[in-house]
Formats: sequence, structure tokens, C-alpha cells
Amino acid sequence: MTEKPITDYDEEIKNCSCSYCGNNCDDITYLLKDKKIVGVRHACRLGASKIINDEDQRLLNPMIRNTEGILEETTWTIALDKTAELLSKSTRPILYGWGETSIEAIKQGINLAEITGSVMDNQSTICHGASIQAFQNVGHPVMTLGEVKNRADVIIYMGTNPMDDHPRHLSRYTAFPEGFFRRNGREDRTIITIDPKYTNTAKVSDEWIKFNINEDYTFLNALRSILKGNELKDEEVAGVSREKIYELIEIMKNAEYGALFFGLGLTQTLAKQRNIDILIQLVEDLNQYSKWSMLPMRGFFNVNGFNIAMTSETGYPYGVDFARGYPRYMVGETTTIDLLNRREPDFFMAISADPGVQFPGYSIQHLTNIPTVQIDTHWGPYTELSDIVLPSTRVGVETEGTAYRMDSIPIYMKKVIDKQENCHSDEWILSEIYRRILQIKETNGDN
Amino acid sequence: MKEMDIIINTGTSIIQAFYEKKGSTLKKEYMQATAVAFMDPIDMKKLSLNPCDKIEVTSKWGQVTLFVDKSHDAPHEGMIFIPKGPWANIIISPETYCCNVPTFKGVPAKIRKTENNVLLVADLMRKTYKKYAKNDDFRESLGEKPIFKKME
Repeated sequence: MTEKPITDYDEEIKNCSCSYCGNNCDDITYLLKDKKIVGVRHACRLGASKIINDEDQRLLNPMIRNTEGILEETTWTIALDKTAELLSKSTRPILYGWGETSIEAIKQGINLAEITGSVMDNQSTICHGASIQAFQNVGHPVMTLGEVKNRADVIIYMGTNPMDDHPRHLSRYTAFPEGFFRRNGREDRTIITIDPKYTNTAKVSDEWIKFNINEDYTFLNALRSILKGNELKDEEVAGVSREKIYELIEIMKNAEYGALFFGLGLTQTLAKQRNIDILIQLVEDLNQYSKWSMLPMRGFFNVNGFNIAMTSETGYPYGVDFARGYPRYMVGETTTIDLLNRREPDFFMAISADPGVQFPGYSIQHLTNIPTVQIDTHWGPYTELSDIVLPSTRVGVETEGTAYRMDSIPIYMKKVIDKQENCHSDEWILSEIYRRILQIKETNGDN
Repeated sequence: MKEMDIIINTGTSIIQAFYEKKGSTLKKEYMQATAVAFMDPIDMKKLSLNPCDKIEVTSKWGQVTLFVDKSHDAPHEGMIFIPKGPWANIIISPETYCCNVPTFKGVPAKIRKTENNVLLVADLMRKTYKKYAKNDDFRESLGEKPIFKKME
């Protein structure tokens, strides 16, 4: 199937940022006709799908469930009043999401969480939360994607599949681009994928090493042990042969600059943050032989920004509980999935996130017993469970904002087209709820 | 062989992410891209399955009907790959072991061939979680379009 290039446009807007994944590609060109996006250049398949979205299922007006259980359109005043009332009445509210919104909206969210004593949590609680715990335990040998592009000659992808999740990662930052010290691009680099599955990334790598699912901790321990000068007596570890492990260690030791990327293949299996602990220690050990650093492959475009904003404002990266009036953080105690599994929350608001897509069914079950609010742009599985729906705008397309790339580089996202008539930005919606809660508190004499 | 023990692996697939990010989650295209179990061809033979057949996956946490397709990444005998989404969520483990991340990968389950229908998102959410379902009659589908009352 071939598609003809788009020629029917009247305006070209260059250097826009993509609001899909943690790559935050900032070289996107939008093609506009009559102030509407008709085409996109340079974006990957996923980024383009988000930019040229499905208008059929766009949320356009605020909605509240009526007594028959059907969503009914209403005015902003009624919907916001109702949300503020439910939130102020609750004792254990959760404000979840934030991965796909701007830092400016997150700032409003922190204000709101503070005065309502909410738990504020984001998507890292179900993806790279374990990595952040490991960084707190062991430290983090950081790098930027620019360094990888210019210097790296050995690149390892472990438990991640960027060809499907971050499609431009290899072509823009790691494997293929020409770097200052890697003039020939892909030819100057060795790419190794370590994954239980023969993924699309494995297909473009020089080598694929398969290990058994849930045996990652054992495998990483074996690597570390050999690096420390011990001898491996077993014929195979975690399904990988002894020769292969020695071969891998040799490649790693002889790298000029090694970059290691890891993903949810490590954080979501049984050993969770311990996998990352040992991975960081492996990178630390490798630095006795060569220069190595590592980076988690972050999913949403601002999921890293939330962790950074939260850490600078409250001292904790995610799952921050304001119930006592000051921030508290305890993994397994104040994190969303654990709270839902214990059936604790009595109010749930998702901001630019879809728990229907992301949470295990057992945890979602509790959302059927409590008031739920959705602030999002599109109709999704979570809308089917929401009592109040507040339509918002798309950051980087209809609203400007700041986001942090996966290597913690802040990126400004432009506004390109006008927002839908009756939609408002996350920042506006949250500040309106905040204002209403203050009013309720004043009337009740709580201040 | 009627039933088979299997390990569930979930993750992003580019087609599932494409429809999810486009925002057309209620449509059939999202269901076809997401409610799929990618199986090793050897395992498929054992259960006499062909692509587009349906299987029932049962884990400790729930049961769901999915389409079957031949895995592009085989061999991985004894493992099925399901793109993350509302269908996979029903059968994965919510256990965080006090580490906040549920166990999305490596969940043991049983699979068998079935003739049941694979549900669209709206029907799946209604039937599984029953938040606004007044009775248990789910014969009529909610369809691919959002259902809401317009303001007068």
C-alpha cells in the first residue's frame, strides 16, 4: 500500500514537539489547512496517530452520569461544582495520572492535592516506579541521549522493545544517527537486545540474548559475578549458555562507551526493583573497565517530568500522600495500586490517564464502588466507569507546556492549533477545582 | 489436548499503541489489535488452533476471551503475548508484593479453545465491572460509538 504525500496544505509549522513517548522528538513539522492539522512530518507512526487523532471519540462537553447510569452533557459550572463537592467530602482521595500533561498542570495538581489531603500519584507507579526506588537505593549512572548519539559504540536494550514503544529511539538517538565520534552511524555500533521474546528491536540488533521470563535477577547476578572475577560453573543460567554469558561480558568490558537501556521487562516481573538494583551495580562494576551509563525507557512524554516536579516540590518522586497535611511517601502503602487493592480510596480522579487500560482488573473493581472523575481528551475504557467527565485539551497541539524527556531534559511544547470550543486545558480545570474547594472550605470555616 | 498451561507476557505492540493513542478505543479496530493472544505455532498446533480462532484464558484473577494469532517472535513455547489493554488487565496479577508495580508479566494461566465472542471495550467494561449495569442481561451490545445524552 502506498500513500501519496500530502500536498494540500496552506501552512507548515516546524520544530514542534511530539507528545507521545519519552523521546519527546522536537523536530516534528505539522501541516495545517484552515487551521486544522492535515498532516505530520518526521513523527513516528504512534506520534502521528496521536497528533492526527480520532475526532469521532473526542470528549467535547463536560458530562455527568444521571440516575439511569448514562452520561449526560452539562455545563462547566455544574460539572466543576460537583467535582469540587465530591473531592472536598472524601477522606482518602487519589489524584492519578499526570504522565500526559504539562508541568504547569502538575503544579496546579500539587496545590489541589495539598489542600484536599489527597494521594498524588502517576503512571510510574505501574511502570518505572521500581526503577526510581532502585535509584534511591543504589544511585543512578546518568547520561543524556545526546551522549549516546555522539559516543556510544555498544548499546544494550534489556527488557524493552523500543521499535514498538519508542519507534524513533534507534533512528534518532542511538543506533542509526551519525555521532561526533561515531561517524558511520550504525556500522560503528554494536546493538544487543536481551529479552525473553524475539522482539522487533531484537530483529534490528546485532545479537539477541534470550533469557527465561522471571529469571532476570539470576542472570544479572551471574554477569556481575563473572565481572568480579569468579568462575561460572553451571552450563547455563536463566536459559543462557555459559559461553554466551562470557561472550557478552567480553563485549561489555571492551566497549569504549556503553549505554544500557532497560524497560518494563525488568520492573514488572517478580523481582521488581531488585532487578534494577543489581543492574545499576552491574553498570557500576563495568565502569572499572570502561565508561558505562544507563537510562530507563520512560513511556509517556511527561512521566519523567512528574517525578522531577514532585521531587523538587515535595521531596518524593510519586505516590505522595498529603493526608496529614505534609507530604509522606511509602512504597506499598501510599501507591495507587496498593491503595486500590486494599479498597481504601473513596474518590478517584484520573488526569490524562486511563486506568481502564493500565490497571489490573482486581484493582479497577474498587473504582465501581466510589465516585470517579476523568479529565481527558478522548473517550476510553475509563469513561465507561466515570461519574463525571471533564474534556481537556491536547498538550503540544492545542495547549503549550513543558515536558521532561526520558533523560530529564526539559522541552517546551508549542501550541499549534486552537482548542475545541468547549474544552479547557488541564491547568485551567485544576485551578478552577482548586478555587471551588477554597470556597467550600471558607464557607465551612475550615481555614 | 483440550487445555494447556501457559505463561502470560504482556507489553506494548505497535498496532495496539497506534489505535490507543489515536483515541479510538471503542472501535472494533482497537479490539482486533488488542484482544489478541500471540502464540507459538507449535502451541497452536497442540490445541488445533488457527489464526482468528478464539481462546479462553483463565488465570487466578479472571477469565477473558481473546483472538489467537501466530506470533511473529516465535519460538516461545509455553508463553503467550497479549498487548496491554483492558482485556489483558482482567487476567494479570494485581499483586505488588508491597513494591507498587503489579505483576504484568509471567502470570501462569490455562487456555482452551472457545466459541464465545470477544467483547468490544464498552461491553467488556460493562460485563466485567458492572458499574452501571442494572441487570445481568448483556445480550445487546453497546456498540462502537460513545453513548451519552446531548444537552438540549
